[in-house]
Amino acid sequence: MNYSWQWQLIWDYRQVFVRGVEVTVILTCWALLIGMALGLLLGLMRSSRLAALRMPAAIYIDVFRATPILVQLVWIYYALPILLGVQMGNIASASVGIGLHSAAYIAEIFRAGIASIDRGQSDAAKSIGMGYGQAMRRIILPQAVRRMVPPFINEFATLMKLTTLGSVLAVNELLHEAENLINSTYRPLEVYTVVAVVFGLLIYPFIWLSQRLEHRWNKHK
Amino acid sequence: MSETPLIQVRGLHKKFGKLEVLRGVSFEVKRGEVLAIIGPSGSGKSTLLRCLNFLEQYEAGEVLFDNTLVGYRKDAAGRMMPDSERNIRRVRARMGMVFQSFNLFPHKTVLENVIEGPLVVQRAPRAEAEERGRALIARVGLTDKLASYPAKLSGGQQQRAAIARALAMQPAAMLFDEPTSALDPELVGEVLEVMQALAAEGMTMVVVTHEMGFARQVADRVMMMDRGEIVELAPPAQIFGAPESPRTAEFLRRVLH
Repeated sequence: MNYSWQWQLIWDYRQVFVRGVEVTVILTCWALLIGMALGLLLGLMRSSRLAALRMPAAIYIDVFRATPILVQLVWIYYALPILLGVQMGNIASASVGIGLHSAAYIAEIFRAGIASIDRGQSDAAKSIGMGYGQAMRRIILPQAVRRMVPPFINEFATLMKLTTLGSVLAVNELLHEAENLINSTYRPLEVYTVVAVVFGLLIYPFIWLSQRLEHRWNKHK
Repeated sequence: MSETPLIQVRGLHKKFGKLEVLRGVSFEVKRGEVLAIIGPSGSGKSTLLRCLNFLEQYEAGEVLFDNTLVGYRKDAAGRMMPDSERNIRRVRARMGMVFQSFNLFPHKTVLENVIEGPLVVQRAPRAEAEERGRALIARVGLTDKLASYPAKLSGGQQQRAAIARALAMQPAAMLFDEPTSALDPELVGEVLEVMQALAAEGMTMVVVTHEMGFARQVADRVMMMDRGEIVELAPPAQIFGAPESPRTAEFLRRVLH
């Protein structure tokens, strides 16, 4: 091990990382927003008694889980404009692509969370005259959300890591910025190490929070 | 008006897949009457009870609550059409239901459980709902547990809280689905006491139960069910003293040792 690390160089280029983190966070937020909204909708559809709602959701979820996200991203960026005649920017394409992909997994988290609540709960809610929406909002989801937090944080961490695939669409997120930096400095070890550490610092607080919440809710029981 | 029975069931049929759980059940429950339903497990007692407030859909026959068809409406030609969600909810809110496994909302305190219906379904002002809730909780003897979560309560306390929750909707009738079957033996009494007091106040009650003592002492009539049919429907003195059906006699012999 005679490698001489040059951390000074990283410090000199810190602005590059700050820029990369910014784009990564923006990408994460948009993808999360799309994934959550669509995921909740798909999850509710998937839990429905009506086959007309259940089937399309099931097909969507299966298609997006069975194909590689890289292919989905490239398809949305290159094929969709030809079919629809609308060209989205690269950040928008990446956000939508990662959002649509995550929605399939988030839908499954919602569905499993809802299914894990005992049927007696919805019986009780119905017996006092509650409708489907009221029972969902006030009785089922508040309980289901607690069970969904750990898998959801998991999915969130995955989603944030998936934003690195934005580099394929030339989105200037953290990994893409880092690769540009490597091309000009020839210091891949330092740069990749910092990228890993930065992602760790971004994601770990959420994992910590999830564990704290779980602990608190368990005590409550 | 008060002459018509509160609950009228005519020719009720219910299937789970190919299994016929209810095979033409007809009976009535008068206002203020306590009807106990007994019979071996799998005889359709609980399913029948759940058809009364349409937690289970029935395929044929009619359930009338206060002269209103439950779960269906009749079109001009007299055919049964599924009723609107709104009407179903409205009729459900007039029947309180108590479950074998309590089904309290675990993320809400006892008081929050009790006021949930008045607040959300009846849209009562919070102060009024809480006042009514506190009174009901006092009535089932849980004032010191107002702010407790269900997990901190014994089974008997949970079931009493569940009764208060059902009563908070000011129902015209109460349905009990084996309310003491999940309780430790020493906790059964406190729940039966609450039910007995309710019956004494004139509440219309339909009680699916294995507590033969309760059926004998509190019920006005006892309905014996077997294989989806009513075997015998009579005052407790006849059911327990001189049952007409050999199936009733046989069942009672088994449960009373």
